[in-house]
Amino acid sequence: MSTRRIVTSTFAYVISIIAFVAFIFPFFLLIINSFKSNGEILSSPFSMPTHWSFAHFVDVIEKMNFLVTFKNTFVITTISTLLIVFFSSMTAYHLVRKPTRYNKIFFTILVASMVIPFQSLMIPLIYIYGAKLQLIDSMPIPLLIIFYIGFGSALSIFIFHGFIKSIPVEIEEAARIDGCNTLQTFFIIVLPMLKPITVTIAILNVLWIWNDYLLPSLILNTEDVYTMPVQMKVFNGTYMNNWELLIPAIFLTVLPILIMYIIGQKSIINGVMQGSIK
Amino acid sequence: MGKMNKTVGLIKKSAMLGIVTALTFSLAACGGSSSKSATNSNSPVKIIVTNSKGEIDAQFKQAAKDFMKVNPKINVEVDTQAVGDTLGVYDKLTASGKTVTLAMFDPYAALHKYKDVGIDLSNDKWNAETNDALKNSDGKVIGFPFAVEGMGLVYNQKVLDKAVGGTFDPYSINTQDKLKDLLNKIKASGVKYPVAYQTEAWSVGNHYSSLFLDQESDPNTILDKLKSGSLDLTQNAAWNGYYDTLNLLTSKDYNKFGDRPLGQYYDAAHVAVGKGDSAILFNGDWAFDSLHAIAGDTFGFMPVPVDNNPDNALNNKIAVGPTQVFVINKKATKAEQAAAKKFLNWLVYDKTGQDFVVNKGQIISAFKNNPNKVNNPLGIAISNAIAKGATMPFSTNYINAGDWPTTIGPDVQKYIAKQESRAQLAKVFEDYYKSHQE
Amino acid sequence: MKNRKKSLANWGNSFLFLGPTTIFFAITVLIPFVYGVYLTLNKMDTPTDPMVFSGLLNYVNAVQDTQFWSSLWLTIKFVIATVFLVNLVGFGLAYLVTSGIKIQNSMRTAYFTPNLIGGLLLGYIWQFVFVQTLPAFGEKFGIEWLKLGWLGDPHMSFWALVLVTIWQTSGYMMIIFIAGLISIPKDLIEAATIDGAGPFRRLVSVTLPLMVPSFVVTIFLSLKNAFMVYDLNFSLTKGGPYNSTEMVSMHVVNKAFVQANYGTGQAEAIILFIIVAVVTGIQVYSSKKMEVEA
Repeated sequence: MSTRRIVTSTFAYVISIIAFVAFIFPFFLLIINSFKSNGEILSSPFSMPTHWSFAHFVDVIEKMNFLVTFKNTFVITTISTLLIVFFSSMTAYHLVRKPTRYNKIFFTILVASMVIPFQSLMIPLIYIYGAKLQLIDSMPIPLLIIFYIGFGSALSIFIFHGFIKSIPVEIEEAARIDGCNTLQTFFIIVLPMLKPITVTIAILNVLWIWNDYLLPSLILNTEDVYTMPVQMKVFNGTYMNNWELLIPAIFLTVLPILIMYIIGQKSIINGVMQGSIK
Repeated sequence: MGKMNKTVGLIKKSAMLGIVTALTFSLAACGGSSSKSATNSNSPVKIIVTNSKGEIDAQFKQAAKDFMKVNPKINVEVDTQAVGDTLGVYDKLTASGKTVTLAMFDPYAALHKYKDVGIDLSNDKWNAETNDALKNSDGKVIGFPFAVEGMGLVYNQKVLDKAVGGTFDPYSINTQDKLKDLLNKIKASGVKYPVAYQTEAWSVGNHYSSLFLDQESDPNTILDKLKSGSLDLTQNAAWNGYYDTLNLLTSKDYNKFGDRPLGQYYDAAHVAVGKGDSAILFNGDWAFDSLHAIAGDTFGFMPVPVDNNPDNALNNKIAVGPTQVFVINKKATKAEQAAAKKFLNWLVYDKTGQDFVVNKGQIISAFKNNPNKVNNPLGIAISNAIAKGATMPFSTNYINAGDWPTTIGPDVQKYIAKQESRAQLAKVFEDYYKSHQE
Repeated sequence: MKNRKKSLANWGNSFLFLGPTTIFFAITVLIPFVYGVYLTLNKMDTPTDPMVFSGLLNYVNAVQDTQFWSSLWLTIKFVIATVFLVNLVGFGLAYLVTSGIKIQNSMRTAYFTPNLIGGLLLGYIWQFVFVQTLPAFGEKFGIEWLKLGWLGDPHMSFWALVLVTIWQTSGYMMIIFIAGLISIPKDLIEAATIDGAGPFRRLVSVTLPLMVPSFVVTIFLSLKNAFMVYDLNFSLTKGGPYNSTEMVSMHVVNKAFVQANYGTGQAEAIILFIIVAVVTGIQVYSSKKMEVEA
């Protein structure tokens, strides 16, 4: 038994380390190439930099208008994610526990909406909210947040939906006998049990919104409201990219989410441990 | 339970807050503010300028600031097209209800897709300083030439000097045989693959495959024949000549990627020629940065020879022309149009404007009165060709640059990969123009 | 009286729980979508052209566009290849990093990193791999088929797209699987172990049935991603060589915005939507049924 165990666990280690190398290498490339010049990046993308220079980072922070774009990206991402998680968990709960005909249709429409090709909505969005209602000019950031909630809800509801189903109704019934109304039952009983999936959904949303280019590039037209991915276009040329600035810029953009993901992972694991102590 | 109630109260409050926010948002959505109404005579005029040359975004914005310093009544907003943007910046701004005052288009788009956008610029002063103004079919000037660019065979001077034993003269290669001879000399000098041929659809299609239009001094002559179906390309010497030369350039003997000529080789090809691992590629002067990224060596252009007649103009000339033009939007107000004209004049006549275009932007100016010279080797080579009179029209300006990369380009790729015969390729051209009469 | 009060409370609850989502969803998706469908009934070359009503002409053009259907067929092959492989690898990774090996936390972070880098840059990084690194590798070790870049051959380009997709999205699926795996009550697994079930048996009879909600999500997502693939297609192969890897989204974008045939491109996007909605609808409906049974 124990030799078999050792064999399996060695096997698990070997597989996970091979996978580790395969998955980490672009990130590794991102780091080492952040310190190289254009020429070095193109001619030897896989070797270590001949000398480690932070000059490009300094340049990028200035050219990207880093403080402003970071703040914009941060504000848009956190507010959108919080509201998406908040509203979609409530909606998903309601849809699971009250499967009326209307609710079933609503859920179907939500799921179907996720496969609408975004390109077919681009012109309608900027026509309705730009040309007709003038909101793109007057309130770009709130408008973008509304759009993120609108586009992001469907997937989040869809994921919550499956997980809420697996929570036994009996617990809620007990709470209800204790005098909780629906809202109380949801926030005090159901939501805490959803912690692992809630954190996961938050991570998925942060990831998407933080890196998104297409939607903000349509809505944000002035530099003071640009997000980091949009501002990054200053490093693109018609036929070539300015790699020596683009790569450190991407590295700086990615770093905050990486940190957030590591923290988020801890919180998922802690969430589960708490559950098991009870 | 007391603690629970408190929590619930808090949650209720925050839920309410969420809903209130939602309602405010949706109410605001019905409001429709009016940021557009500022057009009385005293307030500054705001003009929107689009820029399709992403690489000069920063310089362009600085130029706008410099212009505003001397024209405080005019506010210039520059919107740059990013590479890979699905929706062009002009379409995006127009669809969102804005009026682009000064739009940068490629000449074909200005004459076709956006033919109804521009006003008549025939009487503008700057026409006296240029031969490259864009005229529509009625002979009216609608486009201000912003950038002049050229394309041909880019070569690495150092490698070729070594191969020919002396200073290489690009205009000495004016027949196919001389080109072949040169390739052999390069090989003999120790460079295994003299050519690094990149085969992106826009390059082998829009650029290389339009060159044959220059066999007539007006490329439209050939296009008209194609459209009327009266041109048999398989019998056309120049058209065949270009593909004979392409065979040579992409052959296994000379091409670095000869065994599998298709692929995404843009960077790899430029790195190879930039470093001197190869000597020749086909592209335009915009590619300079891609080469410079590697070394400080010098580079130049040579014509693409199509036959063995040293007097054939095609063998002695480089395709050069205005690749981006400015169009002033009809829909802009008179004041905005006047401000846009002022900006164009500033680019032509003001020292700072001239300095921006040529020195800062490294763009070859279409205007004779601009005293500055670009200082990158490929740009210099094009300027020299202009000075020498060794230029022919930039043939890509005459074709639909949007269609070609998805229609003709892929077939040229098939031809290069030997998946399609010359005759089949000719038929693709002929069929395309039979069904695209515009 | 009591009933009436109850139904009023129900309405209140529905409004509270569904209201905000409905409003945002309508603003962002429903209204623009309806307007987008209306656009397809007009003849428009560029998105800024004045609208001229043209009935179903755009749909007729779309149906007759052979390239649209061949790019759709290619996309279906891509869907089949990636949905299966992405889920397999994603679940494998999740299983691995929840199996209790010591290095699992850092592994989780590592497997997830491909998601941090957007599709465009990923395409460029992999271009280096396929155009420069693998050939250099082939040269060094004399492996003939590696010597020249993958992206010049239609078949190898296709598999390059599949490979990068697996690599890019399996980490994403992994974190959904992780959330599912750690929600499985430990005592169920323990009970099975006591009953004498080996690891494989535990996986098949205890874990997998309880993972159905996760699989509903991940299969849906991988289906949707594969049908809609654009960024990677654009940055890695640009549809080449000779349009052989042009997937349907790229074709639609080219039609609408590059070839200046906006109306037809928009109509093709709507047709694409209907096809994908039907496929994913069937998937979600049938697997939600499994969920109930499980």
